[in-house]
Amino acid sequence: MAISDLLILCAAGMLVTAYLMVGQKALVTAVRLYGFQSLLLGIVAATIAISQPRRELFVTAAITVALKAVLIPWFLTRLIDRIGIRREIEPFLNVPTSLLVCLGLTVVGYRVSTGFQEGALGVAHHLIGVALSMLLIGLFLMVTRKKAITQILALLTVENAVFLVAVGITPGMPLVVELGIAFDVILAVLVLGILVHRIVDRFESMDVSRLSKLKG
Amino acid sequence: MNLLVWTLAVPLATAAIGALNGPRKFKEAVMIGGLAITFVLCIATTRQFLGGAIPAAFGEALRVDGLSALVVVLSGFVGLLSGTYAVGYLRRNEARNLVTPRMRREIHGLLPAYVFATLLVSMTNNLGIMWIAVELTTLASVFLITFHDRDTSLEAAWKFLVLGSLGLGFALLGIVLLFAAGEEHLGEGLSALNWTRFMQVAPSLHPFTLRLGVVFALIGYGTKAGLAPMHTWKPDAYREAPSPAGVLMAVGMLNGALYCVLRIHLISNAALGPAFSGDLLLTLGLLSVFIATPFILVQWNLKRLLAYSSIEHVGIMAVGIGLGGEAGAFGALLHMTYHSLAKPVAFFSAGTLAQLHSSSNFDRIGTGTVSRAPIASGLLVLATLMITGSPPFGLFFSEMVILKAGFGSQHVTATTLFLAALIVLFCGFVFQIGRLVLGPPRDPKDRRVPKAEQFDLSMATVIVAAILASISAFYLPASLLALIHAATQVVWGTA
Repeated sequence: MAISDLLILCAAGMLVTAYLMVGQKALVTAVRLYGFQSLLLGIVAATIAISQPRRELFVTAAITVALKAVLIPWFLTRLIDRIGIRREIEPFLNVPTSLLVCLGLTVVGYRVSTGFQEGALGVAHHLIGVALSMLLIGLFLMVTRKKAITQILALLTVENAVFLVAVGITPGMPLVVELGIAFDVILAVLVLGILVHRIVDRFESMDVSRLSKLKG
Repeated sequence: MNLLVWTLAVPLATAAIGALNGPRKFKEAVMIGGLAITFVLCIATTRQFLGGAIPAAFGEALRVDGLSALVVVLSGFVGLLSGTYAVGYLRRNEARNLVTPRMRREIHGLLPAYVFATLLVSMTNNLGIMWIAVELTTLASVFLITFHDRDTSLEAAWKFLVLGSLGLGFALLGIVLLFAAGEEHLGEGLSALNWTRFMQVAPSLHPFTLRLGVVFALIGYGTKAGLAPMHTWKPDAYREAPSPAGVLMAVGMLNGALYCVLRIHLISNAALGPAFSGDLLLTLGLLSVFIATPFILVQWNLKRLLAYSSIEHVGIMAVGIGLGGEAGAFGALLHMTYHSLAKPVAFFSAGTLAQLHSSSNFDRIGTGTVSRAPIASGLLVLATLMITGSPPFGLFFSEMVILKAGFGSQHVTATTLFLAALIVLFCGFVFQIGRLVLGPPRDPKDRRVPKAEQFDLSMATVIVAAILASISAFYLPASLLALIHAATQVVWGTA
């Protein structure tokens, strides 16, 4: 299998996990899907690192897998266990409609991606198409779901999309910056986790649609 | 060691010591002392810049030009004010047994950390480090917003964090795309993300990728600055955060985020011409001013009122930058300076009233505060005149400069609407504060007796801030004016 095929396959896999997340109500499964999505992102980075060859991308791949495929999913799973809320309730839009909307978003993402210059491997178009679609799907999840955990996963999906663009079409972000960003992401997830805890303690629910006292 | 490194190390060390438990007097001394030294170091940095050098460190990863120097000195000033007020704020609450060790750690640790992050934003030349620093301010603010641990503060913090992280995700994508637009021109290593490097290679950036990157980055940092329609976190966060933290958000974060917006705008200017990002900023700025108007007219909470005023002001600055030209840039930066001087007075006097009445809701404070808290009410009226841009105060002049730039450009209709909105905003704000301060006094039979006003450290801070802001209307120190001109040169000279 050619390198570019492998890249496109992994990118497509990431898009599929995003779709499955939209169709999924069990929170633990959604977290696992996110972990798998991050693993695929790590494979994309490692593949580019081997084929280009760009050594520093191995570090990116390692950070991605360690942090986003293992550590963050583990943390979120533990959070779900602790608070004992396992399922997303009926979203503002039902699942079939949501999937149709996401299909439309993918078309938009791919349309925009045609404006980019092709990268060295000639797959930049696909990678960016997938990344922009995931970005839009992440935003969509954010506005239609009610559980705090799903909103965190939506944020993380957006973040994965950004990293797919970063490994896909840039000549590699400086390592210091990448480490800083990774550190910030883990910190943000921790802070979000603490907030979820406090919200559950206070409202006995992590339904963020109940957070609606502040208006005007 | 380099001056810039010291300027960053001192607030960081202050934060580290403040986050530990310790005797109260010691912690208070550390915070005020640390932030005072930081301010002095900020002034020293700007002196060095005005002396003709471009202070830099770590191979230009830190670099202070005119624009940075202006934001640095404003951040240092507000940091010191906020730290001093915070000590008094905690003392007041302690007298009512409202302070837990957690609160003390949070205030003493997070305020200096916040100052550190805003200084890092404005000192770094590297777009990646800039992003990391902005994210740090976001994370630091979360625990300041949940400070009082009420239902509403959790709601505000959640909205703030989710919206803020999303905005920062957009900003990160913007930076990645800008970097991708550079292809091989930017080189390798940390310096590849340097702003100065981008400016050097601007003409050879890939236009489509750059455009998309600029839009994402401006929307992302615009969210942090509180430009409409991404402003919705602001009223909630300002209401819930304790006043000293509110000031850091309303001035420190606002200046920092606007600084990021400016840097991106300048790259776009150099590569695509002024129209592209300028028009986007003009639109967002006008939208912010228009959206703030109705909410100020119907507002029910004093701190939310200030939040909408802050949305208005960031809108005015964005309009100034968007109109472009030397006058627009000068107006926006002058506005930033005067706003940084006036906003703390408004926040602290409003905070004092809120603390005396244990709430910032208008119905809980009740009308006629002048009879209960004459000093705080007087200062609030003074601050109102300042931040609504009444003559003779500084914001009047900066708004005039921006309006003049607007009527001299091709955007005459937009400027006319802008002027109309400013007038309505002025009337609305003065009406709200006037009713609060001068309305009929509360029913004497009302049992919720507020605390009596006292002259303490917080009050002294407000008075000093008010005196400085009043003097600035008539006399700006020559070095500060030189700094504003230098910053204008960065914005205009490279356009």
